[in-house]
Amino acid sequence: MISRYKNKHSNKYLKFALVLIIGLILPAISSLGISPGRTSIDYDPGMEKDIEITIINNEHKNIEVRLYSTLHDEFGTLTLFEDSLEFFPSEDRKTIKYKIEFPGNQTDLEPGLHIGEIVAVQIPKFAEKDTFIGATVAVVSQLYVYVPCPGKCIEAGLEVLDAETNSTATFIVPVINRGKVGIGDARAIIDIFNLDFEKKATIQTDSLSIEPGARAELSAKWDVNLNAGNYLAKITVIYDGESTSFEKEFSVGDKLLSIESIFVNNFQLGEIAKLQILVENRWNQDLDDVFANLIVFNDRDQVMTDIKSSNEDIPALSKKTLIAYWDTVGVEEGEYDGKLLVKYGKKSSDKNLILKISENSLDIFGVGYAIQPKGGRGFDVTTILLVVIILLIVINISWFIFFRRLKGKK
Amino acid sequence: MKNKIIIGELVFLILIITAIYVFYPKVDYDINGEVIRFNSINSDVVIFSESPDFSNPRYINFENEETYVRLDPGKYYWKAANNFVKGFKNEIEIDSEVGLEIDKDSEDAEIKNIGNVKINITKTDDGITIGHIILDPSESEKIEDKGEYIGRQVE
Repeated sequence: MISRYKNKHSNKYLKFALVLIIGLILPAISSLGISPGRTSIDYDPGMEKDIEITIINNEHKNIEVRLYSTLHDEFGTLTLFEDSLEFFPSEDRKTIKYKIEFPGNQTDLEPGLHIGEIVAVQIPKFAEKDTFIGATVAVVSQLYVYVPCPGKCIEAGLEVLDAETNSTATFIVPVINRGKVGIGDARAIIDIFNLDFEKKATIQTDSLSIEPGARAELSAKWDVNLNAGNYLAKITVIYDGESTSFEKEFSVGDKLLSIESIFVNNFQLGEIAKLQILVENRWNQDLDDVFANLIVFNDRDQVMTDIKSSNEDIPALSKKTLIAYWDTVGVEEGEYDGKLLVKYGKKSSDKNLILKISENSLDIFGVGYAIQPKGGRGFDVTTILLVVIILLIVINISWFIFFRRLKGKK
Repeated sequence: MKNKIIIGELVFLILIITAIYVFYPKVDYDINGEVIRFNSINSDVVIFSESPDFSNPRYINFENEETYVRLDPGKYYWKAANNFVKGFKNEIEIDSEVGLEIDKDSEDAEIKNIGNVKINITKTDDGITIGHIILDPSESEKIEDKGEYIGRQVE
């Protein structure tokens, strides 16, 4: 009897000790996601709209999430239909709705951007809320409400593509007309400065007209004759005599090292695969201790494989193959997302990948944009249909006139 | 005579419609998060743009029957094309995802952006904002293991 009592208690202590050891050894991870991160709508007096958001249980744990909403100013009413959610480990995500209502008679609302927020907070599960002292996570889905300005006003940004030394970069200035009036002529002047504020170049975009609420992309090409590094672009958008300016930093020649290709020979699932990653050093100096890091994610976006190649020194302006080995024991056939990083010093280049694994093949697809199309020089289907319609109209009018004249002669 | 013209027009119309049907660039596609898988039936390229008028388009060539593209969150317009016909305009929307992860071990804690957009993380303690961290997707930073960390989309 006594020994049974002792056993019962020693089991209890053992369990407690195990939980404590696991708790101390294993890192505790709290994570939470929300999508979309932002919903943008145009203000319309009296409008009511239901908006869906999804809360994501990234770690597939038993978690509790508290929800609340805030408005940065009184531009409407935001109603959340739920104020808390509970997730079980089997539940990946839950979709909820909230409602935004704009008053029908409010005319004094300030033109411009008004922000509302839905905040999802992960409640610590294994401790009393009052006594919990660790860090907690919260994520926000923003509601951006744009109130149109009575005259002409715009919102603009800058994207810089292919900014490499001795190549042609494309500057794109997306412009959204946030006013109630159309813009007849919008163009942008971009001044490029180095970080010592010395002007290096000035470029001008094409000009476009923009309807109210519409978006247009002003663009300009620039032959890059500057060294690799960070630069400052000062953008002035001129629209129908008015103008707005902003600044944005961008990099030239950011990719010192480019990932050219990945080869896998004689792949057999369940064995060790040899990955050959061809990289090119585009820098005019040697790069030391370069290595590749391949990360493969499972269908729940968790890291399934994280492998590294050996370190190599790559001479200036040359190519080298980095070798990495992947033990595919336990890997199942299927399609996986992946990321290939090539690290050098504090910098890295990366390429997003899709890995298609079958019993005796591993196909790796890079995902990205091509600069020039290899085909697709055909006629637009709308143009073809338009031509056909015009042709039929012309034929019909012609034979109608022809028969009228024939009838007249008779 | 009239009948002949009508029949001629009908034949012409049928021929045109058949030609468009045969040469029309066809693709299947499905979206998984930020990745779109295109399966070409008779297309050579998919043309993407953030503007409905396809200004500054970007091209994805079909090297194989299947091709993948990963897009940043946002609204996109796309059409498939081959050497004969450019297809109709389609719309696609990639939702942004704000995701935060705090990894705590016995010594310190690390916060990581596990979403697909750049985020601004506000640290609050007892409701008072005491700091900000800006993280790109997959970036992480060491933090103090206390307080509430709130992640918001930046751009």
